Amino acid sequence: MIPFVLFSIRRAWQGFWRNGLMSIAATATMTFMLLLLGGFWIVQAGLSAGLQYVEQKVQVVAYMKEDATQAQADEAVAAVRQMPEVQDVVYVSKDEALARFRSNLAERGQPDLTGSLDTNPLPASIEVYLVDPTDFGAIVTQLESSAGVDRVDDVQQLVDRVTTVTTVIRTVGIVALVLVGLTVLFIIVNTIRLAVTSRAEEIEIMRLVGASDAFIRWPFIFEGALVGVLGALVTLVILGAAAAPLSSLMLGFFRVLPLEFGTLVRDVAVLVLVTGLGLGVVGSYVSVRSYLIR
Amino acid sequence: MTLLAGPGSDRQAPAATFGAARPVIFLRDVTKTYPGGKVALRDVDLTIREGEYVFIVGPSGAGKSTLLKLLIRDEVATEGQVFIDGTDLARLGRREIPRVRRRIGTIFQDFKLLPTRTVWENVAFALEVTGASRRTIAPLVDRVLALVGLTAQAGQLPTQLSGGEQQRTAIARALVHDPRLIIADEPTGNLDPLISWEIIQLLLRINELGVTVLMATHDAEVVTALRRRVVALEEGRVVRDELGAAYHRED
Repeated sequence: MIPFVLFSIRRAWQGFWRNGLMSIAATATMTFMLLLLGGFWIVQAGLSAGLQYVEQKVQVVAYMKEDATQAQADEAVAAVRQMPEVQDVVYVSKDEALARFRSNLAERGQPDLTGSLDTNPLPASIEVYLVDPTDFGAIVTQLESSAGVDRVDDVQQLVDRVTTVTTVIRTVGIVALVLVGLTVLFIIVNTIRLAVTSRAEEIEIMRLVGASDAFIRWPFIFEGALVGVLGALVTLVILGAAAAPLSSLMLGFFRVLPLEFGTLVRDVAVLVLVTGLGLGVVGSYVSVRSYLIR
Repeated sequence: MTLLAGPGSDRQAPAATFGAARPVIFLRDVTKTYPGGKVALRDVDLTIREGEYVFIVGPSGAGKSTLLKLLIRDEVATEGQVFIDGTDLARLGRREIPRVRRRIGTIFQDFKLLPTRTVWENVAFALEVTGASRRTIAPLVDRVLALVGLTAQAGQLPTQLSGGEQQRTAIARALVHDPRLIIADEPTGNLDPLISWEIIQLLLRINELGVTVLMATHDAEVVTALRRRVVALEEGRVVRDELGAAYHRED
């Protein structure tokens, strides 16, 4: 068993180099396809993170009554903070609201007229950030029933609009990823089929001199695996070299990095390696099979 | 069945065809119809005994190639039975086919050598597929290359060889696993007459070593000069089976 595996691996290695041009062509195709797939996966992850970022902008805002006490505000904040739908709660006091308003005006270069006011007209507010933007009902109810709360913004419309847009973009992204995946599958399997076909005579001669099916098949499978792993490694090296400019590009485009960059790197590495190896092996198996069955 | 009568029969037939040498090839009522309805062989009966040298002759399309394909189990008979060395090829499981092929050496008009491998590697290839170790392979390959006179060319690629040398490589490959039977399909078809004779001489020597040789050919000069057993096919039927015969019917 082990001698047979070693023998097959040696034959695969010889086969790879003896058909150098075809092997290089197959590896190059494998690399391009895996780059396409890996690149698309990264774009998709960036898009997804961007959408998540947009969705996190959806907030439920409760405005406090003019005469609400700090104790009432603290209680209301504490009540929502412990709810599972809530990601973060920020209490904005009257002073902070005014300060924000002023800095907003300053940013836009408009004159600050608030100095002429005797009192601060802006209410204190509680801003609640959501885990899931569609999951706001219980929070609104909770806030509305809290003492000292004047009114809660109706976020239904905003949520509807945001989630419609993000759902469409997500769906388009996934469909595109699936299409790219299918294209990659087809092209890689076809390339390997071509490489095997170019050696149909070798397979025929093996059959004629009495080679068993396993003897013919396994070197080709190992060779396919070699092409797959080699293509995957080249792809990862290229992606690795492109990682720094790519992440700064993404930071500029999506405003945020995909939340866990480390996880993305790991996912892409696994995706590229598994796809390369898997398609190399499956492609070889299927291609050789058609010559063995008579 | 065997037409021993005829002008050629006064010549000495190979000794092994007499007596009760066991049949290496035995076909009974074999008919081969290809998908699409073309009938390549009809009711063929044929017995070839150990040690014989048999020519299969006949025009193109007469069924020579189909007959050879049946013998190496590249095709399966539609009707009738094909036995090699007592094994019924129709009853062979997929896994057993290679083992039967290893008992047969095959030689082709187009040599069928691997262009990316040296002469030595091409010959060793036939042993590697049996799972033999490199240590047992090397002396056998060296010996058979010496037999066909290619020791000096062992390291060359087929493309660097002449046609005759390529065919000798193929013969070495066919011989290296010590087969009881050599099947040659037009082995001299691509070679000039002088080289053809070299190849025939080599096959005769191999036959003298006790290996049965079955050779399909168009080479009338060779067949007539050697006066061996001739089986003629026409439109899928055996129309002549004579010992010590010529290429053409002589009556």
